[in-house]
Amino acid sequence: MRRILLVPFIAVCAAAQLPAQQLRITGLDGLASKAKESADITLDSNLLQMAGGFLAGAGKDSKDGKDAETLKQLLAGLKAITVKSFKFGETGQYRMEDLEPIRAQLRTPGWSKIISSQSKEETSEIYMRTDQGKVAGFAIIAAEPKELTVVAIEGTINLNDLSKLKALGVPSIPVPDKKGKKE
Amino acid sequence: MFTQGIAGAIPKMRSGETSGAMTDDPERFEELVREHQAMVFSMACRYLRNRALAEEIAQDVFLQLYRKLPSLESSEHVLHWLRWVTAHRLIDHSRQEKRRPQSPLEDAGEPVAADSTGNADPLLSEMLRDLVASLPENARVVMILRYQEDLDPMDIARALDMPIATVKSHLQRSLALLREQLSRTKGVGL
Amino acid sequence: MNLDDELRAALRREDPAPDFTQRVLAGRVVARAKATHQSNRPIFRMAWAAAVAALLIIGLTATYEVRQMKAERAGRDAVLALRIAADKLNSAREKVVRLEN
Repeated sequence: MRRILLVPFIAVCAAAQLPAQQLRITGLDGLASKAKESADITLDSNLLQMAGGFLAGAGKDSKDGKDAETLKQLLAGLKAITVKSFKFGETGQYRMEDLEPIRAQLRTPGWSKIISSQSKEETSEIYMRTDQGKVAGFAIIAAEPKELTVVAIEGTINLNDLSKLKALGVPSIPVPDKKGKKE
Repeated sequence: MFTQGIAGAIPKMRSGETSGAMTDDPERFEELVREHQAMVFSMACRYLRNRALAEEIAQDVFLQLYRKLPSLESSEHVLHWLRWVTAHRLIDHSRQEKRRPQSPLEDAGEPVAADSTGNADPLLSEMLRDLVASLPENARVVMILRYQEDLDPMDIARALDMPIATVKSHLQRSLALLREQLSRTKGVGL
Repeated sequence: MNLDDELRAALRREDPAPDFTQRVLAGRVVARAKATHQSNRPIFRMAWAAAVAALLIIGLTATYEVRQMKAERAGRDAVLALRIAADKLNSAREKVVRLEN
């Protein structure tokens, strides 16, 4: 009996001591088959480095050179980025419970909600993760009746720069027109 | 001194000869070796006074001939080529030997087999061969071609690409030297 | 007998050893084999060097192209990911502002 009680105690202590882990987007795998369009992007530090190099090279000689440079700077502070986005043809294709494994991670120490907007049908949440007092990542959950998007960003990123990204536009690199991915 | 290359020195095909290059057919080559080996070997042997070395050089000359055969145009071309190459190989060899420090044993060379010379005096023949072998390189070759190959001065000049006056001069000086040497050593008056 | 005749007799042609012809013919075979070998060797060496160089160039080009393709794809994915993130960030902000108003 004593032993049974001791195990959960040690586990709780360990969880308290551990820094918040990188967000793993789980529990959404079944949604891709239901979605009209979906995007599933995972880029680790190596791929981000390659992407930065490619974008800098691609935008160097074009009129979008400044945007390319902004993109490169945004990517420079990132360690990883994961995006799962689904656009459905009709409502009711996912349940809020499907997001529970992600929300459970976001409730662990280190993560804090910085923006939250909830209405009857729509939810938008932005979380920030800190590690030893420094920003270590962000998470975005955007749930609409016919659309669900989860973004996990590992590393440092300036949200103001990120929000300007749409206004700035992106370099004129042909964004993939692939089946199953949206622009 | 020989001034031109072999191409200029060797007479080309004369009228009446069959045209076309010599073939490097092994049987034809064997025939050529048998036909000319006495000439090549004897030139080397008289020049060097060393049978083993003479055979070695003669063998090299024939191997060189085998590689050269397709570019030779007639039997006469082959004969002239062999004389020219043998003469030059011998002269080059003795020049190299002069530069190379030699032991007394090497200088002595190997004894040359005594030969039957018909009515000629074997001792005199031996002495003459020694005396010819002691002549300067060019004069030695001229004497060998004159008395072994029985070529006249004009043919020697052509065979060695040498002015005819030089050939005649070598012959006269060599004969005078031989006469003097013979009379001095054996009292032979020729 | 005069000196000319004595010289002709002394310097007359002489045959080499009986096996001389066979030695020359044997030497020809060896020389021919050696010549073939030597003439082939540089060709093989050059062919080998050319093949190695070609493989190296193909390998390096392929590696470079694969890396370029990977970088291009990563670049496009990164643009798409950031655009989605920016879109959702702005959308969340707008909703908050709308709710506050």
